[in-house]
Amino acid sequence: MKRYTLLTLIGLTILALAIGIGTALAAPTPAPTTQASVLHPNFILLDANGANVLESGNTVSTMQTCGQCHDTTFIAEHAFHSDLGLNVYDANAESFNTSNGLFGEWDPITYRFLSPANDERLDLGTAEWLMLNGARVVGGGPATTSRGGEALADLPASKSNPETAILNEDGSVSTWDWEKSGTMEMNCFLCHLESPNNEARVKAIQAGEFGNANTATLLGLNVVGKNSEGWSWNADAFNELGEIKSEILRIQDPTNSNCAACHGEVHADATPLTIDACDFDYPQTATTGQVISAQRINQSGLNLAGKNDLTRPWDIHAQRQLECTDCHFAPNNPAHVLEAQESNPSHLLYDPRKLEIDEYLERPDHNFARGASAQFNVAPELKSTMRRCESCHDTNKSHAGWLPYNDRHMQVIACETCHVPQMYAPAYSTIDWTVVRIDGSARTECRGIEGSDTATDLVTGYQAVLMQRTDIVDGKTLFAPYNLITSFYWVYEDANGSQRPVRQADLEAAYLTNGKYSADVLSALDENGDGKLSEDELTLDTESKQQLIAGKLEALGLSNVRIEGQVQPYSINHNVVDSKSATRDCAACHNAESRVTAPILLASSAPAGVTPEFVSDVNVTATGSIVNEGGALYYNPVNENDKTYIFGHNRVPWIDWGGALLFVGTLMGVAGHATIRFVVARRRNRQTTATKPVYMYEAYERFWHWLQTVAIVILLTTGLIIHRPDLFGAFSFRNIVTVHNVLAALLAINALVSILWHVISGEIQQYIPHPYGFIDQMIAQAKYYIQGIFNQEPHPFHKSKQRKFNPLQMVTYIGLLGVLLPLQGLTGMMMWLVQKVPAIQDWFGGLPFLAPMHTLMAWLFASFIVAHVYLTTTGATPLEAMRGMITGWEEVEVSEHDSEVRKKEAKKESKKK
Amino acid sequence: MKQRFPTWTLGLIGIILLILIPVFYFLPRSEAKNNPAGYLPAKAVHVDHTDIINGEFTTGQEVTRACLECHEDAAAQVMATTHWTWESKEFDVPWRDEPVTIGKANQINNFCISSQGNQKRCMTCHVGYGWEEYEEYDYTVQENVDCLACHADMSAYAKGEYGEPAEGVDLLAAAQSVRAPSRDNCGTCHFDGGGGNGVKHGDLDESLYFPSESLDVHMGGKLDMLCTDCHWTENHQILGRMLTDNYTIDPQEQVSCEQCHVDQQHGDERIDIHLAAVACQTCHIPALALEDPTKTYWDWSQAGQEGREDDHFTYLKIKGEFTYDKNFAPTYLWFNGNNEYRYLLGDPVNENGVTYINKPAGSITDQNAKIFPFKLHVAKQPYDTNYNYLLAPITAGEDGYWTTFDWESGFQLAQERMGLPYSGQYGFATTYMYWPTTHMVQSADKALQCDSCHGKEGRMDWEALGYPGDPIEWGGRK
Repeated sequence: MKRYTLLTLIGLTILALAIGIGTALAAPTPAPTTQASVLHPNFILLDANGANVLESGNTVSTMQTCGQCHDTTFIAEHAFHSDLGLNVYDANAESFNTSNGLFGEWDPITYRFLSPANDERLDLGTAEWLMLNGARVVGGGPATTSRGGEALADLPASKSNPETAILNEDGSVSTWDWEKSGTMEMNCFLCHLESPNNEARVKAIQAGEFGNANTATLLGLNVVGKNSEGWSWNADAFNELGEIKSEILRIQDPTNSNCAACHGEVHADATPLTIDACDFDYPQTATTGQVISAQRINQSGLNLAGKNDLTRPWDIHAQRQLECTDCHFAPNNPAHVLEAQESNPSHLLYDPRKLEIDEYLERPDHNFARGASAQFNVAPELKSTMRRCESCHDTNKSHAGWLPYNDRHMQVIACETCHVPQMYAPAYSTIDWTVVRIDGSARTECRGIEGSDTATDLVTGYQAVLMQRTDIVDGKTLFAPYNLITSFYWVYEDANGSQRPVRQADLEAAYLTNGKYSADVLSALDENGDGKLSEDELTLDTESKQQLIAGKLEALGLSNVRIEGQVQPYSINHNVVDSKSATRDCAACHNAESRVTAPILLASSAPAGVTPEFVSDVNVTATGSIVNEGGALYYNPVNENDKTYIFGHNRVPWIDWGGALLFVGTLMGVAGHATIRFVVARRRNRQTTATKPVYMYEAYERFWHWLQTVAIVILLTTGLIIHRPDLFGAFSFRNIVTVHNVLAALLAINALVSILWHVISGEIQQYIPHPYGFIDQMIAQAKYYIQGIFNQEPHPFHKSKQRKFNPLQMVTYIGLLGVLLPLQGLTGMMMWLVQKVPAIQDWFGGLPFLAPMHTLMAWLFASFIVAHVYLTTTGATPLEAMRGMITGWEEVEVSEHDSEVRKKEAKKESKKK
Repeated sequence: MKQRFPTWTLGLIGIILLILIPVFYFLPRSEAKNNPAGYLPAKAVHVDHTDIINGEFTTGQEVTRACLECHEDAAAQVMATTHWTWESKEFDVPWRDEPVTIGKANQINNFCISSQGNQKRCMTCHVGYGWEEYEEYDYTVQENVDCLACHADMSAYAKGEYGEPAEGVDLLAAAQSVRAPSRDNCGTCHFDGGGGNGVKHGDLDESLYFPSESLDVHMGGKLDMLCTDCHWTENHQILGRMLTDNYTIDPQEQVSCEQCHVDQQHGDERIDIHLAAVACQTCHIPALALEDPTKTYWDWSQAGQEGREDDHFTYLKIKGEFTYDKNFAPTYLWFNGNNEYRYLLGDPVNENGVTYINKPAGSITDQNAKIFPFKLHVAKQPYDTNYNYLLAPITAGEDGYWTTFDWESGFQLAQERMGLPYSGQYGFATTYMYWPTTHMVQSADKALQCDSCHGKEGRMDWEALGYPGDPIEWGGRK
């Protein structure tokens, strides 16, 4: 028994040792490095019936295929990219917009109008809408589902239902067979493959083969081919289990290039970047000029003005390896759990209860975090959910050390304003659908290029216009950059009384006959008589031209036709530059010509008499004005309407003119007075009056006075430079502001200390008038300056150490030191403090009130100084008073009156004693 | 007594100070930028020697004697440099018991392999006269120092066989032309090292005689810098050591960017954190051999083919097959300034893999190491298959391989001249030689940027460098 136990023990020990050694030996096996790190497993491609495509030979169904592991129903229901506004579709909408997304929101660039049911004239049916917009439709939503929520394929075909009808080129209407065309499921491949075949996909959609579109995305990837008989799946791409091999069809996170397929120009490789000007296949680039690329701008293939110096990358975030999805993330992605935690109870910093990665992968929320652009309104509840500048950057730290008034700047200026200083790719400015080109398209204008070819014509880029953007999250209204696209178009009233854009087909009918301009149109528009209509001639710039077209449209049965215009702002948030290339020069804004109010061209020619209106219901307000300069329309921002006051740019004319008038008036008055004094004194013999030296001013009084003098003079000068930097370009705006602030602080401290001194020493009495006879004395003093002084009469007031000021002086000084100086200090202080205490902006009108008041008082100060300096020359000798203020000793006239007064005072003194 | 200055002037001064001090205290300061150009050595105007030197010179030695009349210590100073000795100081290396020296005088490379026994040609670049094959060179003869090689106007002077002045050189004219060394003096040997323009270095070639700013920001920029502006020289000791001819290098003896670029801040925190792990050269030398191609591969085994047409860039009968490359990205390694290994004559060959002629030292765990750009030169060169070491064939001269095209005779000759035993069996081994890259520097606007190394299109092999993955996602080294 014992032996048996021992044996067992030994046996077990050996076994344990063996396993231990084995494990220890096995542990350092290096991970295989040759195997590609593919997270996504092999999977079976299923058709719509759930059969392996390899066997059925059918088209692939993404919902079925991906639905094997992922909850595709959930994904499709949580994806505004798929829904495109379908769920809020409202056929009875007041405006042209029957929804807030691509499916229903009327876009003057693509122009065609998605017809609601029962419209008088069919424009776009659902099928044609899909063919037209397919390049930007990912599938699902309106590509599979009707407005009423049924499957498109289940709809009874009817010519009168725009969902099953299509407008033919000849103007007739046919039914659309959804059974035959198939519908288009949400296309997972488009965003989750490295190189989906978007070209083939778009081709299939444009051909109306919607059911083939998703399978076409796999063409050219060695997965599937297409021949006359249908689809042929490549058996080599599948493993023995019938699964597609993951190394052939590699599923991945969406990259920038995936987003680019629909949104705009993304350039990731080292070849020189080239783009076409205003190519709507790249909508984001065509509408704003935004290009997502890490490439240095000077390495690109564009013929850019000043290209050599543009050594910065197109987009700093692309250069620094950020992906679109870093900011536009899936909201339930656990990697972005911190964003989701913003709704935590306030006592919780972190809530560990979050989705696990497998739960997320099963049901990833495809309602991606989005910004608050003015041009896209789909899923408005998600606006401003994305990661924003301030989510990553701390402006206080990044601007520390160079940007003064950081907080104030952040209160009024969006990051993009300085960090997207210039757009380098061309963008649309104008779409004029009141006319059509010979191919039926609208006349368009493109800004940022002198011509049309970016490789041969000079690309200048353009500066975006600053508009007031109200943030949806924090409610702050900031200046932010936008491109403005102005469109003009004909509108008619249909039989139901609804306003509709005139159909492109009707426009073409009005303008063209057999593919050429009709004779009457040609004769009206062809100004140079060459038998062709150039882009310049293609405009309805006179009433008569408009009447001609209106008449032709009415002849087509359209009633109440008229031209409308709209301005759509397009947000610019990409193409950010780093601090070195950002706008850093104070004078860019703080100058007569200010970045903030730089105008932007709306249209170089516009239909006569039409002023376009800014689109409503967006978070952008246009507070400026639209002006017409020789037929061209401009938008001029007016920052005064935005409760802002830009130092060096804004000024109130009447204050400046009034102030200058006062100053010059004082100067002239003084000059006149001095001249008369001089002339009179020359005629008469100077009577020498007896004088005696008096120690008039204590050392501190003089120190206080002169410090104040110097401070005020410097403040006036620097203030003037800040007010009119355009006249003083030699000075650094920033340094001058600093000097101004330091001197202001010095002046305030000096004033406070002097009040203390005056109170303690009792000298404050100098400023307190004795009411008895004060008015009479003032009159006497005034009379002296007007008459007596010329007759060399003695001063009516006799200056002494005890009473230095004559009554007029006293009143002036009370006004100056007791009212004007504190008020000036107070307004100045508030202007400085507004950066830390934003509430000041709401007190009595904020900066737009404070700043002009400050200016007005500065003019008063300047005028006072002129008069004050001049009146110091009215002492015993012209320079005596000044000498007194410097040395303390002043020669004062001795007179009878003087001695009498002295006697009286002496008596009083003795009585007191 | 009348005061010299009235008391109120005190008040005036007080007021001025009271205003100026706070104003200057609060005025925004523009960061005082160090001006790198301020660190350039001052150059004395060189005395024109035309009227100082006269007489007739028939040999180089006579010229040197004339120089030494005034510059008494000059020869002694030159003789203390590796330009003269062609041999490094002594190093203790772990794979040898005795201290070793490294240099052209006693070791080999993977270009023309060895200067030993090939003095006839190789000494064209020695800073002395009369170093011949069969006799031990006397390193103590001062008059053998060739002053003209570095000081003569190169339009008036050239060196020939055994380092003697080339035939037909007017030595008087050459001697009268002396001045401080120019790019020509250095370039004659250093731009053409390995026997032709740009052969050896990927970053030094004849394009640097008249460089544009886009070729080299220092030599082609507005400062028009010379070699000696960075290779500071005192008493003929020239700053800078070549990695391939050393084992370890004292940083004090090496040229560095920091000599002039004292403040290395880039005004961008993100870039500045790279300084801990990335050398200046890595970003500022994005590509090698920008204008003239450099040799990247040399296959000696193909030499000697009868009837194959010679082409400078692909094949020469005397040398074998080559690859030249132009404007290409360097090879990146961790580098702490030293060699981890330098092949010494007699060291074993790795028959089945790569034999390193030199291997730069450094790794991701070495805090002194930074990622650094190298030109990698790969060669197939002869080795003794019995003794298992690299061979150094005699190529030049009458019985050299370049005349006989018989490897046997080349190796036999080497046994005679160098004392390198040859077993009679040879083969060809693959060797790697790493050349650090530090010239052809580019300005910030042409330097690498984030996406050059990071992300899908990046040029770095992060795993090879020891990172778990792209450090932009995985973090830098700890």
